[in-house]
Amino acid sequence: MTVLTPERATSTPAPAGRAGAPVRGRRGRSRAGLVLAAPFAILLTVTVLVPVLYALYLSLFTDRLSGLGFSGPRQAFIALGNYADVLTDSAFHASLVNVALFVLIHIPIMLGMALGLALLIDSAVVRLKRLWSLSVFLPYAVPTVITGLIWVYLYTPNSGLAGLLPFDPLGKSGILPSIVNIATWQWVGYNMIIFYTALQAVPRDVLEAARADGAGGIRTAWSIKVPMIRPTMFVALVFTVIGSLQLFTEPLVLRGFTGSVTSTWSPSLYVYEAAFIAGDYGRAAAASVLLALVSALLSALVMRLSARRSR
Amino acid sequence: MTLRGSAGLPRRTFLTASAGLAAAGLLGGCGSSTTTASGATRVRVWSWLTGMDKYAAAFNAAHPDISVELNVIASGLKGGYAQQTNALRAHNAPDILHAEYQGLPQLLTTGGLRDLTTDLADLERGYSPAAWQGVRPGGRTWAVPMDLAPMVLYYRKDLFDRHGIAVPRTWDEFRTAAQAVRKADPAARVTTFPLNDGSFFAGMCWQAGDPWWRVDGGTWRVNVDGEGTRRTADYWQGMIRDGLVATAPTGDQDWIGAMHQGRLWGLLGASWSVGTLNKSIPQDKGRWAVTTMPTWDGVPANGVQGGSAFAVSAESKVPEAAVKFLRWLSTDAAVAKIGTTFTTPFPGYLPSRDVARKAYKGGFFVGAPVYDVLDEAARRVPDWTWGPNALRIFSTVVDRMGGAKTGGTTLAAAVRQTQADTVAGLRERGLTVLEGKA
Repeated sequence: MTVLTPERATSTPAPAGRAGAPVRGRRGRSRAGLVLAAPFAILLTVTVLVPVLYALYLSLFTDRLSGLGFSGPRQAFIALGNYADVLTDSAFHASLVNVALFVLIHIPIMLGMALGLALLIDSAVVRLKRLWSLSVFLPYAVPTVITGLIWVYLYTPNSGLAGLLPFDPLGKSGILPSIVNIATWQWVGYNMIIFYTALQAVPRDVLEAARADGAGGIRTAWSIKVPMIRPTMFVALVFTVIGSLQLFTEPLVLRGFTGSVTSTWSPSLYVYEAAFIAGDYGRAAAASVLLALVSALLSALVMRLSARRSR
Repeated sequence: MTLRGSAGLPRRTFLTASAGLAAAGLLGGCGSSTTTASGATRVRVWSWLTGMDKYAAAFNAAHPDISVELNVIASGLKGGYAQQTNALRAHNAPDILHAEYQGLPQLLTTGGLRDLTTDLADLERGYSPAAWQGVRPGGRTWAVPMDLAPMVLYYRKDLFDRHGIAVPRTWDEFRTAAQAVRKADPAARVTTFPLNDGSFFAGMCWQAGDPWWRVDGGTWRVNVDGEGTRRTADYWQGMIRDGLVATAPTGDQDWIGAMHQGRLWGLLGASWSVGTLNKSIPQDKGRWAVTTMPTWDGVPANGVQGGSAFAVSAESKVPEAAVKFLRWLSTDAAVAKIGTTFTTPFPGYLPSRDVARKAYKGGFFVGAPVYDVLDEAARRVPDWTWGPNALRIFSTVVDRMGGAKTGGTTLAAAVRQTQADTVAGLRERGLTVLEGKA
């Protein structure tokens, strides 16, 4: 997360320090490099590459039963059959629509609020900055399952919040706003801290120059501060997009309390249902691979856009 | 660097779970010695049964030659089945696995369970027929029955009496009673019909006499939208439409609150609801009574919701010891006695049930003795077979019923769609499936 630290943003000639390091023999250096890289490489292989390859392998097979099915499955190679199943499954389409709507509502609200709060705390207007930032950040420290259970309690009819709302937060049409609300509550503080940290790194002389030129607080925020932390905002955007695609815990917790969240409500729940309820590991693997591909494409797209914007 | 937690948490949970599985695998691999240091035969058990630790300890104390090692796993669809299925696939399953009647056929599709037909042949006559049939999908014995959970109607006898509401014997009378309850107290309902519980819905349909699955020759016959189920769906659709029942889940905060405040005058429950009531509303002692389920046309019938059994892994190296423990667990009077110290057990094995009945202290319910009513209910359980995708269908039917409360769909439509889903799901697995009533 070096992009976000103030040092990086302020120090312009970053590579200079590294160039000054003494150069050793080529072989010694490469051996040292190997040794130093080994723990990472081994962990990466064992915990990421092997499971990814295994998932790819699994996604090409399916279990075939015979008779009553009690003699156990026979693994059959079906090439891209699982992918075709997933891509033509209306439940998978519905899960994508749900998560797309979630992203469209959640991201502008959440990042907008985070930015607004960060600018407020960064401005001279607010007192007790630490207390404020801590209290906004606090929800992030609560585990998502607990967060979900607390909100379910508030959403439950006859207790707490639900009575004040004009719609049923656990009903068919209220469930999406309810999930957006939970995620927003949890993530605003986290992103606010990121933005606030980046704002701290905006050179004070630039701000003073703006003030000297007659810019007010709002003008300074909009025309100086926001453009200067744009790279940070894009990083936060990428993380939020990827995280949103993996939306899982909130709907899973809510599902225990309302029928409005189907067992395949989000793509991650779809994968979970396929693997652990339907027992169809091949379809689960195919859906995971597709989900990973979509995440990769979307992040690439966002990064691309960000690179173009900052040029 | 922390990625978003909504991504991080499940991943973390997943890693923990995998690590747990890996560890279990390692133990199974390295410590695969089938004897303990003291020379006793080691039997590994995975279960989520409350009190299993006490049973295992009592067994170990009485049988020095066998050491039962319990590993408590997450319950049923909260992770227990996934963990057991994965272990069976990975060939590192424990000797004994937890299999509810409703989950047994799905667990059997791993092909990893031991056929216990000859091991248990002598026990048949001791059990409630419903329990014995529950462990014999396809005509072979695949597990040892533990408890039986016939469904019964619990009701607020004090309120029913005060308002002159007769205890309903048929579903028509139940509807009349529901109207009377609402009239007596507009905020109250006769019961909740939880739309988020597939196992409950199946239990309610069980009573109507059209099993969702049936073994027909060597193949499965699926009949989720049979006449009995459609009748059940239409009846409850009417009750929901007319606002005569609540649709919220049973057992959650809101439900406990409603019970406390007397906003629910009844409960469509099973034998284990005795414990739920005792725990949730202890101060309601002396207000509740229990009776058999209302019936369709007066023909006595009761569904079942839940109930546990235990299976033995086909790869167990100590099947004799495992079966010995399970026979003890299922039939020994000591187990029922221990059970009564912390719960109200309703064993599938009849002599054990008598032990539990004698040890039951009572006091919570007025009217007919609860064990008598449960016994009567257990005798009325009609024929039923769970299919090899029953657990999945529980969540499918809930998905399909989701909009029934707001009028987006009807229970009848949900039942039709579930039939199609069930058939498609089984055909996808390569099985031949027949449809409709045989």
